[in-house]
Amino acid sequence: MPIAEAIPAADLLRALRDAAVTDVVAVPDTHQRSLIELLDHTEDIRFIQAATEDEAVALAAGLIVGGRRPIVQIQHAGLYACVNHLRGIAGDGRFPMVFLIGLLGRDPHRMPSDHAGSMVRLAEPLLDTMQVPHWLLDGPADVAMVTEAFAAAEERQGPTALLIGVNTA
Amino acid sequence: MTTSTTSGARISVDSAIEALARRRDDQVVVSTMTVMRPWRTRAETDRDLVCVGFMGGASTFGLGVQLARPDVPVWVLDGDGSLAMQLGSLLTIANAAPRRFLHVVLHNGVYDTSGAQPVLAEGRMSFADMAKSAGYADAVRFDDIESFELALDDLLETDGPVLVELITEPTGDSYQNPEPGTSPDLPADGRPIASALASVWPKVRDSLANGPAA
Repeated sequence: MPIAEAIPAADLLRALRDAAVTDVVAVPDTHQRSLIELLDHTEDIRFIQAATEDEAVALAAGLIVGGRRPIVQIQHAGLYACVNHLRGIAGDGRFPMVFLIGLLGRDPHRMPSDHAGSMVRLAEPLLDTMQVPHWLLDGPADVAMVTEAFAAAEERQGPTALLIGVNTA
Repeated sequence: MTTSTTSGARISVDSAIEALARRRDDQVVVSTMTVMRPWRTRAETDRDLVCVGFMGGASTFGLGVQLARPDVPVWVLDGDGSLAMQLGSLLTIANAAPRRFLHVVLHNGVYDTSGAQPVLAEGRMSFADMAKSAGYADAVRFDDIESFELALDDLLETDGPVLVELITEPTGDSYQNPEPGTSPDLPADGRPIASALASVWPKVRDSLANGPAA
């Protein structure tokens, strides 16, 4: 019996709209492919592609300076790749920046912490180490956490993260 | 307009800053590495952003501002070693095609702050050529201040993204290791540079929200 199920991309898109997201800054994530495809046909939320996750963090910070409300969409491997920009810009720079992180390869029958593979297993402990509050979205009912993550980012003036547990549908 | 000069001459950082500072208006300026401190001394306004502790981030930081506010010109004052750390940003910027975006790379050929180790492939590579290949609207390389001054006004009117590579003299500003118990973002002079970003960017945000566009 799986403990996690796919979130329809349309539900996530609705949650992004509810959170007043203006831009999705992304290094394309296979895990969130259906959401990317939907965003590609969405006019009210801009999709901005970056070559690296470091760039995505810096670009999102610039958007915030300019009055926009972005979300950074990456994969767990990208989280590992951008640790210093996460620390130096989003953390020390005190940017209310929300991350949408796909846990590609996560077994829906196991919690991420029980995974044998390090890519899935280490994402949450890394966020804990970086002092980034995070939420695991393990089904359609969890999309309300998107608004919660933005509220927390603004409250703490720093980064927060949403982990997508299963490939978006 | 694309030119490439390779006479072996070099531009002083101070003269490059002076040329830009004289044309400073309401642009948002993102500066990093060795140019940051002299630029802020000469030309700082409430539209200056600083980058310390995340080398390579200046170019896309500036891109984000420009994508949020296409009505406001953005200048990025980058370093060669810094841009080398995020070369992919050339593609990201070219793809986004910001029209009022000037990317100035001070190419002194060395990692100045750590003791002047050479930048990789120094003497064989050109950031201007890379930017052109990536898809910037224009990219120009200068090694004398007179040519740069002559071209600058036209470059500022050119639809971007535009990259200007300036062959500059090393400053010789070696980084002073912090005292034990401090860290690179908490230097001994007591002014926490990294957290300066946290205090600076809300002022830039407010200036953009309340002030006139350039």
